Amino acid sequence: MLKAENTLFTIVMLLYFASMILYFVFIAVKKDKIAKAAELVQTVAFVLHTAALVCRGIGAGRLPMTNQYEFATSFAWGLCLVSLIFIWKFKFPMLGAFTAPVIFLIIGYAAMQSKEVHELMPALRSNWLGFHVSTAIIAYGAFGVSFVLSLIFLLRDKMKDTGFWDKHVPSKEKLDIISYRSVSLGLLFLSFTIITGAIWAERAWGSYWSWDPKETWSLITWLVYAVYLHLRIRRGWKGRAAAIFAVVGFVCVIFTYIGVNTLIPGIHSYA
Amino acid sequence: MLKKLWKFLSSMQFAIILLLILIAACAVGSFIPQGQPYEWYAAAYSERSAALIVASYLDDVYHSWWFLLITGFLCFNLLLCNIVRLPQILRRVKSFKDPESVDSVPVTVSAEDIEDPEAVFRAMGMPKPVKTQKEGRGVLFSASRTIGFWGAWVCHIGILLLILGFGLGQMTHQEYSVYGVAGQTKAVADTNYLLSIDDFTVDLRDDDTVEQYTAAITVRNAATGEKASSEISVNNPATLLGLKCYQNSTGWAAAVTVFKGSEELQKEVLCAGEYMSVEDMPGLAVYFNAFYPDYVLVDGVGPATASSKLVNPAYLYTVYYQDQVIGMNALEGDETIKIDDYEVKFSDPQNYTVIQIKRDRFTSLALIGGITTMLGLILAFYFQPRKLWAVKEEGRGWTVSGLCQKGGVLFAEQFREAAGTDKEEQNAES
Repeated sequence: MLKAENTLFTIVMLLYFASMILYFVFIAVKKDKIAKAAELVQTVAFVLHTAALVCRGIGAGRLPMTNQYEFATSFAWGLCLVSLIFIWKFKFPMLGAFTAPVIFLIIGYAAMQSKEVHELMPALRSNWLGFHVSTAIIAYGAFGVSFVLSLIFLLRDKMKDTGFWDKHVPSKEKLDIISYRSVSLGLLFLSFTIITGAIWAERAWGSYWSWDPKETWSLITWLVYAVYLHLRIRRGWKGRAAAIFAVVGFVCVIFTYIGVNTLIPGIHSYA
Repeated sequence: MLKKLWKFLSSMQFAIILLLILIAACAVGSFIPQGQPYEWYAAAYSERSAALIVASYLDDVYHSWWFLLITGFLCFNLLLCNIVRLPQILRRVKSFKDPESVDSVPVTVSAEDIEDPEAVFRAMGMPKPVKTQKEGRGVLFSASRTIGFWGAWVCHIGILLLILGFGLGQMTHQEYSVYGVAGQTKAVADTNYLLSIDDFTVDLRDDDTVEQYTAAITVRNAATGEKASSEISVNNPATLLGLKCYQNSTGWAAAVTVFKGSEELQKEVLCAGEYMSVEDMPGLAVYFNAFYPDYVLVDGVGPATASSKLVNPAYLYTVYYQDQVIGMNALEGDETIKIDDYEVKFSDPQNYTVIQIKRDRFTSLALIGGITTMLGLILAFYFQPRKLWAVKEEGRGWTVSGLCQKGGVLFAEQFREAAGTDKEEQNAES
């Protein structure tokens, strides 16, 4: 099973790369057929990515969410899932063009991590692991999409060829609302992540909050997005300022995931 | 002046400032290692930085007076905000659901000359509209998801309960740690409780990694004689006589016996990190530094263990006489330490367990706060108040209008699709 996962992972990475290139070509030559092909490739990559995660889970005999490699590949999967849902729900196929490089970067990071399967330490052998990490994957995926949407928002005025961009990219007003929807989803799931993590920590270590760096940075991320939500309803701050905060929020997400593990050791150092 | 201050303290602007300060404080606290002594900071940074860190409580950010003050201000701000907003929300919900308000509210989107307005209501997923009359005109009215007005309010209450539960828990919780080997009974600090470790096992996998640590324990109240027993393991704590007991960690212990000639003078079970004073010779003490179950001596590293299995046990010890080190070595097998007429032997290596005992009466309050916050977020994000109304114009069809508090563009798109005006727009464009 792990061999199959390894093969699937390589194929998935190549497909994400192909989808990204196709989207770039689409922007360069402006042919809708190429965008459709890119979307199809990304969808196929997502389906195979799901299969790869299932193989990893069966091969490891547990949920594939416990080390840097597993979380990185799940993070890319979560981002692709939320991106595909938003493309379908808000009829915004061009979103795929902007999420594709981010997905490729994250899966590229996963490829650089050790794929070895290790047995879990007793503290990680908990049913709460599934709730805690899977909600984090969706939260991170949603924040990734809001990051991409906010970047598009900030770059929207610079999109010169108005005919092409107006056809494929929504107005700033709509971008702002879709980004808000994405942050809402992310914040809700991040709250689930923090609460399930707290319940789990209480059972494992007897303390539901101990200011561990990962906990603290999850709280910081939560607070940054809370500021984003408040800014959106303040006159004069809606739009650009809120979009900047959504970008800052995703920087915090990435720091919580990679920076904290590598720069600040704590009880989450295994993750 | 006082009114201005009151307004500022309950304002969103103040909330944003507090949130930004909290973000900065939390970030600083995560980068500067917390709870270290002054000397540690002086060695890690510089004397000047260490002085600054300690003086500004950056060595204990989350318990510092200024951090608590900011958190207090945030609670005050949330409370004031909720008090101020309560009557506003009540009024808003009432007016939002009032069919009489149709002429006096802003309109997000509207469509004229609609033949079947009820079909638009249905397509928008609105409840069956109320039929009424206004100034001789027929009016259809429907409002939904008004519970969403409560989202932010409920979320704020949740955050307040969470902070309150956490704060009260921090102030009142009791926490103890008891360690020992199977068969030992120890007092739980200065309480009336005694904790007996009936059994302790470490389950190893084939690859030598730990599967689980399991302890069978009994808690007894020495004053009342009440007792309760349970098995605990990592992730599976148990509450015994009101004390929540956790399997926390483990280490190695050994029996240390002092002989004089062939006579056994003293025997104690020592955990690694403990020492034993030899009663027969005041000033003489044996310290149990570490235990190696599968002892190997690695060049350049020193004593180490090749595995967790009891294959080749060795005990690292230090002998003190009147606080001076007089010997230090590793004992293998049946080797003993010889000090004048005395002989010290280490034997019977076994795992000891560390049981953490906690009593926090406010954990449930914090959990209720967390769940309430979640509920508030769900209401705020996924129950966006919306209303539709249709007015029959004289000699014309119905004019259907809609209002959505948030997500106006998306609501308008959905409305145009439901009313069929999106096709009209597309046709006009083409």
